[in-house]
Amino acid sequence: MDGQLLSETFVELTDTMVADFDLIDFLHVLTSRSVELLDVSAAGLLLADPRGELRVVAASSEAARLLELFQLQSDEGPCLDCFRSGRPVSAADLGAGQRWPQFASAAEQAGFCAVQALPMRLRDQVIGALNLFRATAGPFDAEVVDVGQALADVATISLLHDRSMRRTDTLNEQLQTALNSRVVIEQAKGKLAERLGIDVNAAFTLLRDQARNRNQRLSDLARAFVDGTQAIPAPSGSPRASRSGTGQPRLGPRPAPPRPAP
Amino acid sequence: MSAADVCAAVVPGVAVSGAWLSAALDGQAGHLMQVTDEVGRLLADLQLTLGEGPLLDASASGGPVLASDLADGDSGARWPAFAPAACRAGAAAVFVFPLVIGAIRAGVLGLYRDRPGPLSDFQLGDALVFADTATMLLLDAGQGQAGEGAAPGGQPVGLASYRAEIDQATGMLTEQLGVSITDAFVRLRAYAYANDIQLADVARDIVARRLRLFPDLASEG
Repeated sequence: MDGQLLSETFVELTDTMVADFDLIDFLHVLTSRSVELLDVSAAGLLLADPRGELRVVAASSEAARLLELFQLQSDEGPCLDCFRSGRPVSAADLGAGQRWPQFASAAEQAGFCAVQALPMRLRDQVIGALNLFRATAGPFDAEVVDVGQALADVATISLLHDRSMRRTDTLNEQLQTALNSRVVIEQAKGKLAERLGIDVNAAFTLLRDQARNRNQRLSDLARAFVDGTQAIPAPSGSPRASRSGTGQPRLGPRPAPPRPAP
Repeated sequence: MSAADVCAAVVPGVAVSGAWLSAALDGQAGHLMQVTDEVGRLLADLQLTLGEGPLLDASASGGPVLASDLADGDSGARWPAFAPAACRAGAAAVFVFPLVIGAIRAGVLGLYRDRPGPLSDFQLGDALVFADTATMLLLDAGQGQAGEGAAPGGQPVGLASYRAEIDQATGMLTEQLGVSITDAFVRLRAYAYANDIQLADVARDIVARRLRLFPDLASEG
């Protein structure tokens, strides 16, 4: 593992949490960094909805097929097992076992051979899981599992970050708010994709870049765009030419937040 | 079943003392549609009068606000005027669920207890399901312009399993039809119902651009 990248990642993540951050944007960065750092092909975060379903809240790529694959695990798969047991669940070769027939075949069709799920734990409660996909079969290194777990823990902490945790109610409030923010972002992706004639993945990248340029929270911009109170212009040049489709956010820092007056 | 019935059913359903339901179809604070008792009415009124409270917080954040003890320091700090006034009115705990699907706002479901204590995990899950049902019923009741193709009340369509495509398709339809996000969702469901297709399948076709809907007629292009 690249030690320098590891330290840069933790500096970036903790730095972001000190500022006024947007949870969905933050978790998107966290899953993208997981891919680079842990040398896996894709990463996704699922949160448990009190209605009894695991729901995708962020992924390293916004490609619809990948989101669908993560979401499949609400019914069966390593994430569900990990969530239920509160322990890491690993499948070094999805083709070999019959543990999750539906999930394994969908994962293989998407080009993934190995999968690792890591629990998001808070004291005695499991609130979700971080899911890592790899294109090649074989076990995950202990180091990958350890650092992956640390990233899952950072994701948990970020959820609780907005307010103090003295109140037991706060976690459920934050979970539901995060899940609804995710829905707003999906609605905004659809509206922007249709308006500009681009795919939803490119629409997410544009939305996110716009939020950063305007120094605005991603969910706030998404909501204002859906409500029609803020417009998002087409990027200059061909919309499909610029980075769209990679799903990888740029590393660049966001503009400095306005400082409170002394 | 109407949204008002949900208000009556949720009280024994999650073991609270009373409930209120307000509709907010145009994103405004909305009007009170149903209350189960006088305390519920007072709680709903108080927040509008005082300009603070869990109802307004829930509307702003899009997530529920769960105050399991209005007499504790946290609630007092959060709502210095509302918390003591709500206690005097006879409430010890208040739980407010915004009736939202992303940017779609249908209203608010409020619950209160005359004794402090949190909702259990089961009760919270059930309360969210009641809230989902009320959301769909309010959307059905408010969709006069969608015509006879709309899904019938009483049967929430397609919320059993979350699919990102449904939200993306709803966003795409706002552009195709030139309507609000709320109306786009109504039209999406109406199309699925009229053509006897699963909502998730219609959504997938729209996102894949195999299907477009056109203004006025919910017909295939």
